[in-house]
Amino acid sequence: MEDGGANLDERDAGRDRPLDLGWLRESRAEWGVKATPSRIGLTLKDIAVGSYGDIPDHPPRRTMAPRGSDIPDQVPDMGYTINDKAEVWSDNVMELYEEAVSRQWSATRDIPWGELAPLDPDLEHAMCQLATVLSEVEMVAADFPAKWLWRINHDFVEAKMFLCTQAMDEARHTEVFRKRALANGGGMGRATAIVEQFLKVILDAQSYDEGSALMHLLGEGLVLSLFRAGETIAPSEVEKRIFRLCMQDEARHVSYGTMHLRYRLQRDPSLAEDFHSYLDRGEELIGVLLSTPEVAEPATILAAGSLEAASELGSAATDVLRVQSIEEYLQRCDRAGLDRRGRIRLPDDMIAGTSAAPPPTPAVAADVVGART
Amino acid sequence: MSAGTGLLPDFPSSAWFDALVGDVDRRRKEYERLGFADCRFAVEVVDDRGTCRWFGLVLDGYDIISEGELDRLEPFAPDVVLSGPHAAWTEMVANIVRHGGADRAHTLNALSIAGFPLSARSPDPVGRDKFYRYAETLQTLFDSAGRAVPVAGGH
Repeated sequence: MEDGGANLDERDAGRDRPLDLGWLRESRAEWGVKATPSRIGLTLKDIAVGSYGDIPDHPPRRTMAPRGSDIPDQVPDMGYTINDKAEVWSDNVMELYEEAVSRQWSATRDIPWGELAPLDPDLEHAMCQLATVLSEVEMVAADFPAKWLWRINHDFVEAKMFLCTQAMDEARHTEVFRKRALANGGGMGRATAIVEQFLKVILDAQSYDEGSALMHLLGEGLVLSLFRAGETIAPSEVEKRIFRLCMQDEARHVSYGTMHLRYRLQRDPSLAEDFHSYLDRGEELIGVLLSTPEVAEPATILAAGSLEAASELGSAATDVLRVQSIEEYLQRCDRAGLDRRGRIRLPDDMIAGTSAAPPPTPAVAADVVGART
Repeated sequence: MSAGTGLLPDFPSSAWFDALVGDVDRRRKEYERLGFADCRFAVEVVDDRGTCRWFGLVLDGYDIISEGELDRLEPFAPDVVLSGPHAAWTEMVANIVRHGGADRAHTLNALSIAGFPLSARSPDPVGRDKFYRYAETLQTLFDSAGRAVPVAGGH
């Protein structure tokens, strides 16, 4: 007799059994295998002992039953669609999870909000606009892993747990930038269609591969550079701390993205062209996004220190940041196994001065030589 | 040139880094709240003649260990090397001492974002990214030069 999927006959039979855990005696669990805590506590790596540390490349089942447990045949199929380890794994995912849990912070408690002082209105506008953009983009990095989490086979639970920490990190980033926009009288700035288009490409990605490359490697890599720069363009100690704490989180996500892509490509190099295609599209959008006034102007004004200085310096105010961020992105692609230098889709003026810049044409080269002599 | 506080040994020296690391034990709760870290971090100080001196720090869980001055960099196998001229380092230390912690222009991150005067280098970008992942821990460590850190066995 069935009731809501449960076998009631089995329940009745269970009533007559002695309470001696006898049903557990045939368990294949590794009795006696004992994990030893390391100095910082009992980590995921510490408990990856015996067969419990074996993470199958292709799990035989699609179930929520914990890896290493005895699993009866009757368990339902959960319908996971990501059942190859290489689709989500990275060699550093366990340490990144532990680090994420250990390095959590609070946007309410850990930011010295009481030190926020009135700013020059131009700087306040710029800061609030930047906070608006960041509050907008950060949440996609929670939405994206959340969208895919339930599709990932539970045998890759460490990767799922890491993605849960990312969702929490990004919720906090959204929170802290929203709070900054509202904390000093400036309020929310303006959203833009191009930013939303890029977020939509990530959210609508047809595969985890596509979305992860666009988000972890490209999007978050560039945001990481912005957070790095944030400490130097921050108008006060408040923003400085915000940017530094966000930078730490973002670097974890980028580290996962880089090493995940490496893991993926090492096991199936034929996917390289697919990843190039994802990044082609992403870079084209990012190129437009980074040029849009709602994104470019506040960063330039904050970097220059005033509206007047920004008008004088123009894009030169952020040139260093541009070159550094693109160079770091290219290096991470290299590490993952993708050389983007030959086919980067960012506009020429954006890659000028980087190792992806096209070699000068003969005419330009001749001009340069002529100018030098 | 000395960038010492009067209580700290001169920078750069093994004793200077030892003093900073000694402060970690005294402020363990603060470091534990920042979270644990895992990084082999090298400081490279380049003098006017281009000669390098290296100092090793190991961030291991909640502990930070000073490896002192290194004869050579390679055996230390750093995840990331933060390099810069002696003058830039001493200016940073002086700024920390003056303000009780680095101002916005003199944090490790701010000084290295443009690749000058300091630069973070690593053969592995994931290793370099550890400099960003543990930025708050590293800055807290260096900022402790702005507090009155007694020299071990001193005064």
